[in-house]
Amino acid sequence: MNRIKLGIRSKITVGYIVIIVCLLISVIFLNAQITSLQKSRNHLIQFDSQVQTLTNNIEKSIKDMESSQRGYVITGETSYLEPYNNASSNWKVNYDKLRQIVAENPGQLKLLDEIKVTIDHWIANAGDPVIQMKRENRVEELEEFFRVDVGRKDTEAIQSQFESFLAIEAANIDERAAALDGRNQILTFGLFALLIIISLIAIGISSGISRMIVNTISDVTDTIRKIALSGGSHGERIKVKTQDEVRDLANATNYLLDTLEKREWLQKNIADIVTTYQGVSSITKLAQVFLSEVADRTETSYAAFYVRETVDNKVSYVKQASFAGDSATVGRENFKLGEGLIGQAAAEKRMFTNKGLPKDYRLIGTGLGEIPPNQVVILPIIYDDEAIAVIEIATMKEYDEQQLELVKQITETLGLTVNSILGRMEIVRLLNESRAMTEELQVQSEELQTQSEELQTQSEELQMQTDALTAINKQLEERTQDAEAKSKALEKAKKELEETAEQLRLNSNYKSEFLANMSHELRTPLNSILILSEMLVENGSNNLSDEEAEFARVIHSSGVDLLSLINDILDLSKVEAGKIDVLFGEVNLSELPAQMDQLFSPVANQKNIEFNITKADSVPEVFYTDAKKFQQILKNLLANAFKFTEQGSVSLNINRLNDQQVTTCMQNISPDWLEISVSDTGIGIPADKHQLIFETFQQADGATVRKYGGSGLGLSICREFSKLLGARITLASEEGKGSTFTLIIPSLPDGIAEEEQMHLSYAEMSAASAVDYDDIEELEALEAMEASRFEEQPVEEEAEEEKQAPALSPQNELEVFQNKRVLIVDDDNRNIYALKRVLENRGMTTLVAKDGLECLDIMREDHNIDVVLMDIMMPNMDGYETMSIIRNEMKLTDLPIIALTAKAMKNDRDKSLEAGASDYISKPLNLEQLFSVLRVWLVSKGVK
Amino acid sequence: MGNYDEQRLENNQHANLELDLLLETVYRLSGYDFRQYNRASISRRVYNRMKINNIPTISRLQERVIHEEGYLTQLLNDFSINVTEMFRNPSFFRALRTDVIPKLRDYPEIRIWHAGCATGEEVFSMAILLEEEGLLDKAVIYATDMNERVLEKAKQGVFPIQRMQSYTKNYMLAGGNQAFSEYYKTDFQFAYFHSFLKKNIIFAQHNLVTDQSFNEFHLILCRNVLIYFSPPLQNQVHGLFYDSLSLNGFLCLGDKETLRFEELISNYEEVVASEKIYQKVK
Repeated sequence: MNRIKLGIRSKITVGYIVIIVCLLISVIFLNAQITSLQKSRNHLIQFDSQVQTLTNNIEKSIKDMESSQRGYVITGETSYLEPYNNASSNWKVNYDKLRQIVAENPGQLKLLDEIKVTIDHWIANAGDPVIQMKRENRVEELEEFFRVDVGRKDTEAIQSQFESFLAIEAANIDERAAALDGRNQILTFGLFALLIIISLIAIGISSGISRMIVNTISDVTDTIRKIALSGGSHGERIKVKTQDEVRDLANATNYLLDTLEKREWLQKNIADIVTTYQGVSSITKLAQVFLSEVADRTETSYAAFYVRETVDNKVSYVKQASFAGDSATVGRENFKLGEGLIGQAAAEKRMFTNKGLPKDYRLIGTGLGEIPPNQVVILPIIYDDEAIAVIEIATMKEYDEQQLELVKQITETLGLTVNSILGRMEIVRLLNESRAMTEELQVQSEELQTQSEELQTQSEELQMQTDALTAINKQLEERTQDAEAKSKALEKAKKELEETAEQLRLNSNYKSEFLANMSHELRTPLNSILILSEMLVENGSNNLSDEEAEFARVIHSSGVDLLSLINDILDLSKVEAGKIDVLFGEVNLSELPAQMDQLFSPVANQKNIEFNITKADSVPEVFYTDAKKFQQILKNLLANAFKFTEQGSVSLNINRLNDQQVTTCMQNISPDWLEISVSDTGIGIPADKHQLIFETFQQADGATVRKYGGSGLGLSICREFSKLLGARITLASEEGKGSTFTLIIPSLPDGIAEEEQMHLSYAEMSAASAVDYDDIEELEALEAMEASRFEEQPVEEEAEEEKQAPALSPQNELEVFQNKRVLIVDDDNRNIYALKRVLENRGMTTLVAKDGLECLDIMREDHNIDVVLMDIMMPNMDGYETMSIIRNEMKLTDLPIIALTAKAMKNDRDKSLEAGASDYISKPLNLEQLFSVLRVWLVSKGVK
Repeated sequence: MGNYDEQRLENNQHANLELDLLLETVYRLSGYDFRQYNRASISRRVYNRMKINNIPTISRLQERVIHEEGYLTQLLNDFSINVTEMFRNPSFFRALRTDVIPKLRDYPEIRIWHAGCATGEEVFSMAILLEEEGLLDKAVIYATDMNERVLEKAKQGVFPIQRMQSYTKNYMLAGGNQAFSEYYKTDFQFAYFHSFLKKNIIFAQHNLVTDQSFNEFHLILCRNVLIYFSPPLQNQVHGLFYDSLSLNGFLCLGDKETLRFEELISNYEEVVASEKIYQKVK
């Protein structure tokens, strides 16, 4: 709309002008009215006065003529006639004037004409004749005339005619004056009307103009407020219909908003783009992200990102990413500084823009075809006054200023980012390299370690092999020598053997008999110990301290244990000595479950273990065997099960073997067989120990003894008793999963049958069972042979471990301790005594120090100490101080020092560690642990 | 001179080819995939074996691998490096005790995966640590290795006595709060660790290269295993660990290894950076 610009000032001015013009017009109009009114009035007044004057003049002329005529008549003097003459000419003049004045009034004209007639009449009839008469001196006629007075009638007529003329004239005047008054009134009304109209116009104009101005301004403010409320200048603009300063203001504001919006767009986009590549750690990723972001915002169809690389001092730019197309097809792979326009841009560090590219320029591929780009922009990215990267972007349209501004601004900060990412990549690369190197080092060191270990093993094996070979050689020599002698001795020995065998059997019987007697003899004193110690435990007189009472309790419980051990030995030895009587009789099996339940439920409750007893319906009520032995076996098995079960259950199952299960051999012995099994969910027994546990004094594991106590005789007794009853016990167990002991026992109403048959049935049964009892005799013999060794070695837990170890000469075990010098540092004589005995038993040489000072004295003298056992709490100088001195002053850093600390004191351990202890054991000492630790510290490190 | 270099290069290429073929053979015959292992290490192992058996070329070695019974197993054993010790890097175990265990304490069950446990020294160390923290009963340790032979050893819990002195030192430095000897008994050759330590340890064969995740764990230890892998394989295994970790679970690497440059690092937080203990946070 090309409207004429009309400013607020003009609007107001126009308003005022309109009002002023109105005023002027009304003033002029009023003035004209007033002037014409005035004229009319003046004219009226003048007219009136003229009429009056002229009338008077005429009347005066008439009177003058009359008086002059009379004077002449009287005097006869002609001088008196002069006024008459003057008047007779004058009145005509006046009359004419009058007639002119009242020309427009025909009534008056008529009256005037009458007046003239009258006057002329007078003149003709009275005036002139008189004068004629006087001149002619005709006195009579004069007298006659005066007497008749013809003139008088005329003068009177004139007078009255004038009077009526004047009256009409006055009436006329009055009428006209009244008309004038009417006009005057109308004028006054008109004046007020005008005033009102102009006021209205003024009010109209002012309100119109103010509304026009205020509305636009409030429109603008509303829009501005709206924009402000909407939080930005998103699209909305101020619209103004008027063509004034407000429009200018709105335009200026709109422009401001546009600028702001553009700036905001720029900043937002820059911020957005910068955010997208924050945390990007690789330059390719950065380039990709950057290009796609920029392309997104600038309608770019084609883009490539080149990053500066310096190889051998030659600078080139290598493409890191491209947009719209796989990196192989878009743009060249790299370029040198100054090479092409892009190289030039990099060299000059300034932006290049090319518009209107030729049609055969690189084409932008779409799904359907290829389009040539329209504009290409090359932008170097500057950092530290160097173009560290170059971006080229192309579009099918044309970049507007804002898009270019965006690209320009974003690339300003990009240099820093590119540089930092390049730096970071370099750091990462270097770190990765160093990591790879450290890893490689670690790998190599581990490999070396492995290799050296392998070599070590090999050399050890070689050493062992040569050792073995030498030994075998020697043995061979010796053997060949011995062979002859032995073959001679053999025959002699054979004889002796037979004798010895006989003697052995006797001896064994003697031994068992002796044991049986001994057990009896032992029980007597033990009883007194038990009774007395129990009395002490009860502490009736209250004269024992808690500790002493505890001692007594220990004595008592040890006594009880000892008693049960002796009982077991007695049973066993009785069996072995054949001194046990087997009394076969009726056993009521229906009562058995209740009996066992009564016996073991308390134990089960106490240990919180389930105890289940099941009895098959096929089990007969009456069974023939030795009731006492039978129950003893069950009790032992159950006791055993409860002992080794910490949680879960123990169950007793009583079954009758069916006909298929009873073999012919078994049938020969008895038709009725029971299978009674005791199962537990306890620690179980490793397969290789299954045989062992039935042996006297044996348990599956050395550790078991410590944990569960007991003599290990229970199962031996079971086995022996079951033999007596013609029964057998089998074991099925897995370590950690519990064990099942199964007693298979025949019903023998007539006692035991022939030995032969028994053996046969065992052989048959054992073929299927886990334990081969035919080997039992051999095992017993082995045991007997080892017994001598037992006497020398008070700690026998190693039995199991030695079996695990590879077969090396057993001397090694001795070598560990043999002749090793151990220094015991302790202030307690009993401890010293106990340790001395234990260690010397193993062939060690002991030295004793009662406190730290003594210890140091000894060590200064004796430099061949292999290990020190160091108590901590000692008079004069305690263990910590002593160790510190040994380590720091005597510089014996490699000497093993084993600190003996109290178990509860964590502080002790830390302190002894700090003081330089090699290891620590807590008191009270566990011998096995002590020897374990001593082995660790005494074993020759050279072997490794 | 140039000739010599060319010769050597050619030899190198040949050796590379032979090694590729050998590793392919091993993979096809045994299922053990060493193709992505650290090349330098594997070739050293191969050359070591060649030196021991006096074999001139890898191809000859390959022939024996294919045709000679037991030789493949021998070579596989050569490939597996089982350097380990109890409480290896005591400071790591100390950090485990002070910074990780307290955060696992409240779980009803603690599942631990010891990947690449070799002969089990560190598994037993872990068990001892848990025992001392009172958590052994509710912990399950899955100790895996790809080498069944060493796994068999690990199951025993029997270690050469000669090494016990240094293990004792490690134990004490790792903050052990008992006497180390509480946990073993010895003979003149070996230390036998008590079987209660084993009760919650499950030993199983698992190959990090070819096998998948088998549970969700609160703690994964894989120390000095990844160094034998090539970077892409390391990456793959890290993916496996990430998938196998519960949220807030811990990953422990060897002292020469790091997660810092792995893509997954953003999902982890460093708990004890110096000991390479990481926590999965997302």
